[in-house]
Amino acid sequence: MTTIAPPGTGGRTGRAGPRAGGHHRTGHRGTRSAPGSGLLFVLPFLLVFALFMVWPLAQGLWMSLTDSSLALRDTAFVGFANYAEAFGDPDVWSSLGNTVFFTVVSSVPLVLIALVMALLVHTGLAGQWAWRLAFFAPYLLPVTVVTLIWTWLYQPDIGLANQLLGTFGLGPVGWLSDEAVAMWSIAALTVWWTAGFNFLLYLAALQSLPSAYDEAAALDGAGAWRRLWSITLPQLRRTTALVAMLQVLASLKVFDQIYILTKGGPNGSTRPVLEYVYDVGFTGYRLGYASAVSYLFFALVIVVSLVQLRLFRRED
Amino acid sequence: MTPPPPVTETTVPPPPAPGLSRRRLLGHGMAAAGALLTAGPLSGCASPASASDASALSVWDLFQGGDGMLMDDMIRTVSSGTDGFEVDRTILDWGPSYYTKLAMSAAGGRASDVAVAHLSRLPGYAPGGLLDPFDLGLLAEFGVTPEDFTPAVWARTRHAGAVYAVPLDVHPFIVFYDKEAADKAGLLDSSGELTATGSPEALLEAGKALAAATGASGILFGHVTDTAQSWRQFAALYAQTGAAFTLPDGGPAEIDIDAAVRVVTFMQRLFDGTTNPRNLDYNGAMAGFLGGRGGMVMLGEWELPTLRKSGIPLGAAPFPQVFDRPAVYTDCHGFVLPHQHDPDPARRREAHRYVAAMVKQSLTWAKAGHIPAYRPVLATPEYAALDPQSSYADAAEVAVLDPPNWFAGAGSDFQNRMCQPLQSALLGNTSAEKAVRQMVREADALLRRPNPVA
Repeated sequence: MTTIAPPGTGGRTGRAGPRAGGHHRTGHRGTRSAPGSGLLFVLPFLLVFALFMVWPLAQGLWMSLTDSSLALRDTAFVGFANYAEAFGDPDVWSSLGNTVFFTVVSSVPLVLIALVMALLVHTGLAGQWAWRLAFFAPYLLPVTVVTLIWTWLYQPDIGLANQLLGTFGLGPVGWLSDEAVAMWSIAALTVWWTAGFNFLLYLAALQSLPSAYDEAAALDGAGAWRRLWSITLPQLRRTTALVAMLQVLASLKVFDQIYILTKGGPNGSTRPVLEYVYDVGFTGYRLGYASAVSYLFFALVIVVSLVQLRLFRRED
Repeated sequence: MTPPPPVTETTVPPPPAPGLSRRRLLGHGMAAAGALLTAGPLSGCASPASASDASALSVWDLFQGGDGMLMDDMIRTVSSGTDGFEVDRTILDWGPSYYTKLAMSAAGGRASDVAVAHLSRLPGYAPGGLLDPFDLGLLAEFGVTPEDFTPAVWARTRHAGAVYAVPLDVHPFIVFYDKEAADKAGLLDSSGELTATGSPEALLEAGKALAAATGASGILFGHVTDTAQSWRQFAALYAQTGAAFTLPDGGPAEIDIDAAVRVVTFMQRLFDGTTNPRNLDYNGAMAGFLGGRGGMVMLGEWELPTLRKSGIPLGAAPFPQVFDRPAVYTDCHGFVLPHQHDPDPARRREAHRYVAAMVKQSLTWAKAGHIPAYRPVLATPEYAALDPQSSYADAAEVAVLDPPNWFAGAGSDFQNRMCQPLQSALLGNTSAEKAVRQMVREADALLRRPNPVA
């Protein structure tokens, strides 16, 4: 999914640890309830979390060590054979590469364009609500609608994209059929579709910035560019960290629009690792092997998240 | 059927029919087994029959749109009368996910009583015990015997000496043409049917003549980003060369490289981007033909209802023979008995009776363009009167299905992998030889995988 998890889910689970830890260090000053009474309140969540997250995670890890099949009942323990196979499977590496490539070419514009859109709206353009609606509207569309629209835009023969090129005397482009172009086409669609969410995050941040600095700088004779560069953007650093983090995680999870648009083609050039997991596990019945590939991907996501945390922490 | 996304038609579920028992559209296979045990929550119509009604036969299929309505008609027919069936129909989405759900329900041992499956998918189902065999004695009792089916099709229902499917239809990859354009191009014989092709050059010439007649393109074929179309065409032409395409367990694939290169080279010549466009996707080819921008289109016969609505003077013919022997790429829908751990003999008997009754209803099914697999229906004057269906009924005699292997068949990853290099070759991004070599490599890679169903 390139739709983003509800704001805060990523951040909140990420931060629950340290915050809870801090709470323990300061003790329960001022609370008269017995320690641990809060457990009752979080128990329903914990139960659901354990049942639908922790248990399947453990189950998947176990499955990845077996030759579990969707079509057979008996399974055998195979140790690390699935992992060994995955390491030697060129399709795993090419699909992981595709996922990483997509993450890079989609995340960068999704952050930058969202920031530019937010700044433009924030400068007080006329027709605020119209701009906001226009920028955010695509995000409200379901993936099937978005892909349907863009399938027709990218149509090789009668699609708007090639028609436009034609009016400028340029030859048609195989938007979804040229191996060198297809992933860029999907990234473009994704930017159009989801930039609105990051735009909203940025806009909210901009509107909550104190205006004092900006006014003081203006009095001191700083021009608009200078104020943007030295006052506004530095204050947005934390938002940028959040947006970038959420975006990278969302982009790594890309599956649905690619699956609908190209099924991973042409020649596997747009097949993300999640689609490979789906193909191997659900179409090819090899649940054990698919789980192993999932866990390799999981490891990659953890590494990326840790690196990002490091980077942004240093910035703060 | 084997439909890609509908083009001009939105798939509207048929209106609820009185007397027909409930239908549910289940989005998730996991829910299916549970929903069959509890009274399902999503009822499409208010009918007295309920899913928990023990006497109702539960049937799964993947027919939506026009096909779905015809299936409803057939079920309604067999449900009427004193010994009518109580049928509880569940429609699932066509595609790879259908087979995932079917496998899961059968692996759980609590599957529906009857399901529909492509015969090309049986090798992935029968060996692992996902299906239960039919009792030929019971079928004969209800008037259906092996002799009622084309040998080419019946051969694909068997595994290890048992019969695992009863074919409902044969749905080949054929050509539709605009009768006026074909007439103008001089391609019709005295009876108004398309003349036989017989050689690669003849089909190339036909394309040119059709292009001249329409003032646009000759033969349309949509394959870009599609995961089956170019394979269907390749498989038809390859079978016409007489070469074998065998996928023995454990590999390596036995593919005649020279024949395959000859076929792909011909496909590249046929769709060279001048007379016949080479860069169309499925919907683009469909829209082009419906808009009169082509005289002929290569499609599955299941698109007949859509094309017929367009008002184009529509003709149809089996896929043209351009090499040594006639062959038409096809698949078949058949009824199967998903595995149940503990089948109730009376219900099993009822399931056999139902399947027999349904194949006898296949004249209704033929309205959608499908060729009935049950030959007694084919022999009726009512079928002969169906136009253009009767024009390509012979296709069933020269049917070629996917190589029998667990990973091949309709909606499989194998077809997708075969399509990718073919697409590159058709788009001119790679040579025929390179494309064929990649197909062999992909087939070998799949053959090296451990078989998860046996």
